[in-house]
Amino acid sequence: MLGLAARRAVYLVPVLLAVTLLTFLVASLLPGDLAYAILGDQATPETVAALRHDMGLDQPALWRYLRWLGGVLQGDLGRSYRTGESVLGAILGRLPVSLQLMVAAEIAAFVVAIPIAIQCAARAGTGFDRLATGIAFAKLSIPSFMVAILLIYLFAVQLRLFPATGYVPFGEDPLGNLRSLVLPALTLAIGEWPVLMRVLRSDMIATLQEDFIALAKAKGLRPRRILLVHALKPSSLTLVTVAGINIGRLIGGTVIVESIFALPGIGRLLIGAIYTRDFMILQGVVLFVATGFVMVNFLVDTLYALLDPRIRHGH
Amino acid sequence: MVAGIAPIDAYPIVGPPIDPRASRKGTRGEDTAMDAALRLTCLARIIALTVVAFLPVGQAAAQKQGGSITVGLELDIAGFDPLKVGVFDTSGTMAASLIFDTLTYLDENGEAQPKLAQSWTHSEDYKTWTFRLRPDVKFHDGTPFNAQAVKFNIDRQKDPKNKCRCAFYIANIKEVEASDDLTAVFHLTDPAVTLPKLMTIPSSNFVMQSPTAMLAKGDDYNRNPVGTGPFVIKSWTAGDRLVLERNAGYWDRTRPYLDRVVMRPLPDSQARFASLEAGESDLIWDDEYDSDNILKAKNDRALKVHEYVGSGATVYAFNTKLEPFDDVRVRQALVMAIDRKKMSQALTNGLSRPATNPYGEGSWVKCTDDGALPHDLGKAQALLKEYGKPVKFKMLVTATPRGRASGQVLQQFWKDAGAEMEIEQVDQTAIVTRAFARKFDLTPWRIIDLADPDPQMYANFHTGSPSALANFSNPDLDRLLEHARATADPLKRTEDYCAISRLLNKEAIWFWTFQNTYYAIAKAKLKGLPKLYSGVIDVSPTWLE
Repeated sequence: MLGLAARRAVYLVPVLLAVTLLTFLVASLLPGDLAYAILGDQATPETVAALRHDMGLDQPALWRYLRWLGGVLQGDLGRSYRTGESVLGAILGRLPVSLQLMVAAEIAAFVVAIPIAIQCAARAGTGFDRLATGIAFAKLSIPSFMVAILLIYLFAVQLRLFPATGYVPFGEDPLGNLRSLVLPALTLAIGEWPVLMRVLRSDMIATLQEDFIALAKAKGLRPRRILLVHALKPSSLTLVTVAGINIGRLIGGTVIVESIFALPGIGRLLIGAIYTRDFMILQGVVLFVATGFVMVNFLVDTLYALLDPRIRHGH
Repeated sequence: MVAGIAPIDAYPIVGPPIDPRASRKGTRGEDTAMDAALRLTCLARIIALTVVAFLPVGQAAAQKQGGSITVGLELDIAGFDPLKVGVFDTSGTMAASLIFDTLTYLDENGEAQPKLAQSWTHSEDYKTWTFRLRPDVKFHDGTPFNAQAVKFNIDRQKDPKNKCRCAFYIANIKEVEASDDLTAVFHLTDPAVTLPKLMTIPSSNFVMQSPTAMLAKGDDYNRNPVGTGPFVIKSWTAGDRLVLERNAGYWDRTRPYLDRVVMRPLPDSQARFASLEAGESDLIWDDEYDSDNILKAKNDRALKVHEYVGSGATVYAFNTKLEPFDDVRVRQALVMAIDRKKMSQALTNGLSRPATNPYGEGSWVKCTDDGALPHDLGKAQALLKEYGKPVKFKMLVTATPRGRASGQVLQQFWKDAGAEMEIEQVDQTAIVTRAFARKFDLTPWRIIDLADPDPQMYANFHTGSPSALANFSNPDLDRLLEHARATADPLKRTEDYCAISRLLNKEAIWFWTFQNTYYAIAKAKLKGLPKLYSGVIDVSPTWLE
């Protein structure tokens, strides 16, 4: 088990190097750089050149990358050119918001997806199954920004149940904190549960055809026990994989959702950094997100081993 | 609409952009009758100001003390140190109007009134302005506000070592001299007949910040600013909220009325409006591209739409050095092909007001004849036919939904006239670069709302100025601009500016599509909001009914 973990950890290094290098190169390909963004309508060739020199932007991209990497290895992510705040501080200040949002969304998606998937699998082909998969398909087709606006209109403007925008820190007001997260988390969850539901449903239908299920039925076990205890665990391998990969989608979703609901999270920080060409912040956020994504998938791989002993024993 | 995060029209708010290369070619001292008239108006003004200075500020209605409001901004606030952020954007300026004071402010009639300065005088040539400062004003950190502080603020921005982008906008200020504690003398490179009006914007140039705090806090000053304004920063969570509380020691004892103002960046326009409807915000920033919500709010009795038609306009510049725009017939034809009413309908549900000159309804310049070319498709087609060659060109547009939409509407008008325009989408920062390098056929631009047309008109049209984008030179135009700059009599200046408008419209080197209209939507119970000069929503004098 530890060996597996160590092997996986080694993979982390090249992945992170590749991701950060690519971001650096893509960012330097963007038209207009920070000097233009700062100088705005005063961007004469001379002032731009002077400012670029001051910020070290006139150095080759690869050299700047190596310098940045050197700083990162010493725990220094740099400072934002634009606001002067430390990149690490900016990220750590906003991370809890995004993490809370993603965890809440993922839990909500599971809570909705698993019972429906089990019901659909147990009654595959019935009216309920077709209705549920139909709804899931429809939900999958609605973009999150549309869902967000509809939710705001219904729950915030009409019913006044939840706030339309904003974030309340947990330490300030725990109940307010949860209320402020309901609509954003729901927006993300609505995009998420159909995927989880459909994956679990089809795996479960396959599992229910297996011999050991027939045996369980022959032994007279109750259908509920068969579904929840015997069929769910072997059916959830793909579900876990998809949930892991979906973290990437979820992070992408937070960028949109945080902007609409005005949550001060990583997504907003990223968008702002892109628009203002604040590459120090951009690089820092990408590094964090990539590390998080790789770590989650690493956890997923470890979970496989727990769910399926064959992987644990290297078969 | 996620694209609301960086709208093309989030133009920075700046003071007067004064052409640093502009050199004065001798002031017009020969007209002695005019000089006498200048002295008279000057004297009248000093008397008026002295009277005003002793009047209590804003005692019109029964203001109520107390209460808290939440303001929905468009963008995150980057900070307040001019050296860091260069110029404040719309959100930054709105917050700055609460934390800081300027020397002067614009009243509802568009006249400069005393704020940190109590009175002012000027030299005959309008190149030296002396401001007498309000005594006993303290910064939030307890240090005194005085002439040395004024000098420090301006010097710091102008210091070449600091390379501040903000310096460009005060290039006209040669030096500030603190002749005693309460007297700040501004020495200018060029005459500015309306300097006190131009200094009213709470931009990075003209708000007074604490020298002690700037020196002591260094890099951290940007997000921990210290001013003399009616509100003090209580807390600031980046990207979430800026909480401001009443400055109990404010120099104007009657103000502010509100106890607390919370400013929140709400980048999505739909969510911003929803927060107002849901009662989470009391006032939101908005613009005409969000026309559905503005029209909806106009029909809602619980809400009030504060609308201000400023001076200036959304404009476009032809590069007259390049074919086909080196021919005036082509330029005129393209301008005459534009149906602004239809364009406004297509883009903003008819909210945008057509512009026929660079000044607009909000300007004090009113022309009986501005020489605007009429919308006349037949004439446009005839002119292009007369030109003889096929008219093909590219137009720069910002790569945003708004930029594309404007480009597509113009493209259609010009197609009808017989010209072929290709849309070239570029980043907003790239437009600026391309425009200054003159690498364009046709580019969008903006004349912002300022209290006086001089700084921008001079910069945009005087021969040799970096932002004279059309590459056009005309001695009559230069002469009129110089005369208007050095003349104090508003009637004579109006004549100059109307002649300039006629000349520009006839030559069609630039054209204007829509006037600058600024919006704030607020709860009806929020009272006392001043005009949205330069698009700045200043909630410092407001109160809740």
